[in-house]
Amino acid sequence: MSTKQQNAGKTALNFLRNNTVPLMFILICAVCIPISGFSPSYLLNEIITRLGRNAFLILSLLIPIMAGMGLNFGMTLGAMAGEMALIFVSDWQIWGIPGVVLAMIISVPFSVILGLICGKILNMAKGREMITSYIISFFINGIYQLIVLYLMGSIIPIAHGSIKLPRGYGIRNTVSLLNMRQCIDNLLAIRIGGVKIPALTLLIIALMCLLIVWFRRTKLGQDMRAVGQDMQVARDAGINVERTRIISIVISTVLAGFGMILYLQNIGNLSTYSAHSQVGMFCIAALLVGGASVDRASIGNVFLGVTLFHLMFIVAPQAGAKITGDSMIGEYFRVFVSYGVITLALIMYEMKKRRQKASIGEQLALAQKEEEQHE
Amino acid sequence: MNNKRKWIFRGCTLLAILLIAVLMFIVGRGHTVYIDNKTLEYNGESYGALQKSEVWVGGERLSKLGKRDRTMTTVIGNSFEMKLINTVNKGDEPTETTVKISLPYGWDGILVNIPGYLANLPQEAWMTEFIIEPTTEEAAGEEEATEDEIPMGDF
Repeated sequence: MSTKQQNAGKTALNFLRNNTVPLMFILICAVCIPISGFSPSYLLNEIITRLGRNAFLILSLLIPIMAGMGLNFGMTLGAMAGEMALIFVSDWQIWGIPGVVLAMIISVPFSVILGLICGKILNMAKGREMITSYIISFFINGIYQLIVLYLMGSIIPIAHGSIKLPRGYGIRNTVSLLNMRQCIDNLLAIRIGGVKIPALTLLIIALMCLLIVWFRRTKLGQDMRAVGQDMQVARDAGINVERTRIISIVISTVLAGFGMILYLQNIGNLSTYSAHSQVGMFCIAALLVGGASVDRASIGNVFLGVTLFHLMFIVAPQAGAKITGDSMIGEYFRVFVSYGVITLALIMYEMKKRRQKASIGEQLALAQKEEEQHE
Repeated sequence: MNNKRKWIFRGCTLLAILLIAVLMFIVGRGHTVYIDNKTLEYNGESYGALQKSEVWVGGERLSKLGKRDRTMTTVIGNSFEMKLINTVNKGDEPTETTVKISLPYGWDGILVNIPGYLANLPQEAWMTEFIIEPTTEEAAGEEEATEDEIPMGDF
């Protein structure tokens, strides 16, 4: 075998190794789409809707990855902040786009406080950020439930009976957001061949992407990248590592709050106690499906991830129903795949790290040998 | 000096955001307006319901109200405009009236009585707050419930 062929083989192997998850999803979708029997226009419509609904949330994960803090499971905190803001806005009866804007503004202080707490804790758990942020989200969920279930209506004024539980305090399981449902999606919406394109939502997402690109070039963005590459080197270069990491988490939490508000305005109702519980998991799974890893993610990964992951979400129940006669199989399949893909990505990341370490070790050993031979 | 400028900039940004929030709070206030074609009793006098009233809101026909009929619409903001095409008695020529109302900020539901409005009565006669009482099912229905299990639902 020639060197050229060997190199091509290595490149192909590397490509496969680096893109296992997206390729696996492309394969799943390629099998499930024909079985499901959905029309291309239906699938396109669904994908565009879900892109508008989820992309902003997933974009909020990019900045902590840039700062070397891995996948921010703590984005759930931002989601909770967004939900609290929406509860207030619903109670004050602020509808439509003003309601969405007001909710976003109100969510900021909540998100900043939660982000600061999360960032401070993560600084104490360097190297174990993902599991720590995952557990923090459970802890803050407890506090959120305490506030929403007991303090709202009793200490925090909530006026409307439609939001409050019949006992007089606490918020109902579902808060209707009907008066702001798809207000952003419908404004400037374009219809092409039966496919609704929520132009304004996509414009907001595009602006967010531009903001991230711009942010990477700023001093703070460069600092974050330096911190993400090597904390010690960054510290030696005079960067306040702890502060930079906290800022990255605060930004992520604030963006997650905005993303959750956009997400819920699309859905049109808020499951008070459970809407946020799976957000982190699904967003992270989507990002990983797009080919991102724990230490590397791009805007392209977000869009590829949303498309593939949600394509699987759409077709899996129907394909499951056609294959087994039971749609629940498909439902279980997609949840199982979400967890599976995160596990797979984490294992692959660890393997890659070990492989890199081993190759550095081999190179070092080789260099030593050469040195000894020279002597 | 540089530090001072930074703080001034931050303060101005915060102020601008607060102003936007206040603006949204005012312009985004939603109301449900109920429009009635019912006989109104006011100060011992009776103002009879119209034979027929077509209600147009935002260029679209909302409803065609007969005697004792009611319709509703939602409004964002503090002003409400509707066009009424009224037939007072059977066989009369329909007349067109444009109604512009300023809605009280604190009221969620607002009841507007057409005969009262057309009779040029004071505002408190034809505009009242409409409060929906929860049904017994709603009142008894939901209790606190949090979920321990992982929801299987869509995302």
